[in-house]
Amino acid sequence: MSTAQGQAIFRDVPASPPKKPHIGQRAWQARADYLYVAPAILVMLIVIAYPIYYTIELSFFNTPANLQLSQKQWTGLSNYTAILSSPVFWKVTWQTLVWTVLSTFFAFVLGLGAALSLHREFVGRAFLRGLLLVPWVVSAVAASYVWKWLYHSDFGAISAMLTAAGLIDKPINFVDNTQTSLYALIVVNIWKEFSFAMIMLMAGLQTVPEQLLRAAQVDGASPWQRFWHVTFPHLSGVSTVTVLLLVVQNFNSFIIPFIMTGGGPVGSTQIWITHIYELAFLRQRWGLGAAYAVLLFLIMMTLGYFYVRALTRGDESRAG
Amino acid sequence: MTNTPGFERDTTRPLHARVISGAVAAATALSLVASTTAAYAQAVDLSKWSPEYVKSIAGTKDFDAAKDCGAVVPNDYKGRVSYWYTGPFEADPKIAHEMDKAFWEAFRVAYPNIETDVQSITYNELLDKFRTALLGNAAPMVLRLQILGGVEFAAKGYLQPLKPEDVGYTAQDFWPGALKSVTYEGVTYGLPTNNETMALIWNAKVFKDAGLDPESPPKTWDDLVAYSKQITEKLGIPGYGLVAKQNAGNTPFRFMPVMWAYGGGALDEASASPTYKDVWINKEGSKKALQAAYQMYAVDKSAPTSALTNTQGENQAPFIAGKLGMMIAHPAEYAKMNDLASKATGSDKAVADEVVANMRYGLLPTGPDGKRAVVFGGSNIHVVKPEYVEGGKSDEQAVKALICFWDSPEWSTKLAWVGSNPGNVNGFLTSAMKQRLETIKFLDVTTSMLPNGIPFPVIPQAPEIMNIIVPDMLQNALTGTMTVDQAVEDAAQKVQNIVAGGGL
Repeated sequence: MSTAQGQAIFRDVPASPPKKPHIGQRAWQARADYLYVAPAILVMLIVIAYPIYYTIELSFFNTPANLQLSQKQWTGLSNYTAILSSPVFWKVTWQTLVWTVLSTFFAFVLGLGAALSLHREFVGRAFLRGLLLVPWVVSAVAASYVWKWLYHSDFGAISAMLTAAGLIDKPINFVDNTQTSLYALIVVNIWKEFSFAMIMLMAGLQTVPEQLLRAAQVDGASPWQRFWHVTFPHLSGVSTVTVLLLVVQNFNSFIIPFIMTGGGPVGSTQIWITHIYELAFLRQRWGLGAAYAVLLFLIMMTLGYFYVRALTRGDESRAG
Repeated sequence: MTNTPGFERDTTRPLHARVISGAVAAATALSLVASTTAAYAQAVDLSKWSPEYVKSIAGTKDFDAAKDCGAVVPNDYKGRVSYWYTGPFEADPKIAHEMDKAFWEAFRVAYPNIETDVQSITYNELLDKFRTALLGNAAPMVLRLQILGGVEFAAKGYLQPLKPEDVGYTAQDFWPGALKSVTYEGVTYGLPTNNETMALIWNAKVFKDAGLDPESPPKTWDDLVAYSKQITEKLGIPGYGLVAKQNAGNTPFRFMPVMWAYGGGALDEASASPTYKDVWINKEGSKKALQAAYQMYAVDKSAPTSALTNTQGENQAPFIAGKLGMMIAHPAEYAKMNDLASKATGSDKAVADEVVANMRYGLLPTGPDGKRAVVFGGSNIHVVKPEYVEGGKSDEQAVKALICFWDSPEWSTKLAWVGSNPGNVNGFLTSAMKQRLETIKFLDVTTSMLPNGIPFPVIPQAPEIMNIIVPDMLQNALTGTMTVDQAVEDAAQKVQNIVAGGGL
């Protein structure tokens, strides 16, 4: 073997990669970072991880007749089977889905419409923008009481105005009716939430390149085509995040149904979170309430996963 | 309450001195307690109870709390007591603050060597704070809770048994209904500090305009249904302020008196010796009560359509506007209406003032057989077991001194000044009671409902039955989701499940 060949052979062998420090070394090198986040991790372990663990544990126990938690009885999965086999659960689940889907859809659509309108320059835009933010800023408790009086089945302001205008001859029964109560509350929820979607989408609209819109206009694209082919694709990321946040928020809604109807009439406005509250805190069925909460937690975590994915989409390619 | 190993004792004095002084104190206490309780028992005759009787006995006897309680716990006793209660807050009238302040000053004068550690906690926070404190063995020695708040803790084993005799009183010094509310599985776990009942309120002008006698309230619940219908037919406004909201305590407070008057109940709480095991919610009397509500709401439409989402708070606005004929409320409702009228403006002010002038209080109607009933409200004082108290020990003598003083005729009257009545019935003899009757309008009427008071079932599941199952039953019937018969049977099944410890 000549020296030249030997050199050639050595040149073809890839150089061995630099030796990666093992995990202990890397942890030691980042010790300052760990110290910085340690207080936050500790607090999270106490106020988040432990309650989650305790809720999961409780979901496998039954509350004894004297409601003493220290005497709770192991029942395995019976709380879960009791919930899943209860017609009340499925009724409440259906109502929760109706509440979440309709609230999210209409809040998003109204928010998008408001954002597109406010994205243009016109006189009074700043004032209108501030005005449309009011529902989001107002406390949900205060808003619920105001809407309760607006809807009131005997002396409500909405019915009074419609009566004065000659459109109806007796007050409309919005919330004391099992057929309409859920939808009446959904309207309140949409009113409360659409501002949030509007803000998110207004921020998203700032990222739509102006030159692309102008180019499309020069190419003869109609306003709808410009929206659909230029604006909307640029909003897809922020739209996904907005919809996910609205879904999470709506699954967790409590104040509006609890204050306005207490879950009634006949449970027609009961949704998951109010039902969990009723089971755990008003009826002290801790095990059932915990099992219910675990189911909701799993759904929320799934949505959370998609939320994080939506947020970090593109990060890897940018990093790569 | 009995001596408990955890209780603190004064070990600084020689044994023989402690034995002698203890024996003397015990003998004195026994003789004084016997004499005072005998005197109390003779002084108040609950069988004669009426607005006139309440007025006639007020101001006829004065008591000296320091002296009377000194016979139970010597006034020179040295110790410490911790206490949680819902005292007066910013929104409460000035007199409530003054009485609270005066109490603590009087207690310090009576027991200068007892150190007090007192926390006034809002009604909404007290239960949660107490539950949390118990889990961390950081509870106070003494605690005052609303009338059924204690049963949960008695059932969980946190409370020390406490009888009237432990603090120098007898069972005759308290309303039987009030003592029932602190008795769980045959053991008494506290003493009533104040008791109140609601009454029927009506607008005399509305009655007159509807062709009813403005000064005569309906005598029976059947009459009330008829009056309500007549008001709606003649004036086009709701006759009776029915309240039937889900998850709301206002609902059972206004519906259970109807059930009891008709001979029904949730369990057997309206019987002379309740066991809280018999389900009465599907009895004939319960059905009749539900039928009466159904008649007003669904058939006559003489109750507000909004009853399904109304609490009593939502009845106040239509009442002060002259748009509601009758409602059930506390003695303090008159002050509330006065307050609303004072804030009204323009033409609303004239209407509101007229309503206040025409506001009347009367006894709640009876059932068909003359039975009258009302929910027994109020508060009770409890003693926490030493092992759950902060520091792991309790000072039994200081605890007794505080409870005796708080529940004395004088102070249980003064501390209940604004909207309640003394837990110790001898408080009705005091000059403070006379002053209250002279200054608080309609107090004599609401007070005279007390003998008809029935506490909710004294079991830990009572809030679930009263705040959830009873309103559910009402809503099922009123909305037509179920017939009256189906609604009571459905409720009975749920009560059975709950008492058995299950059910979603």
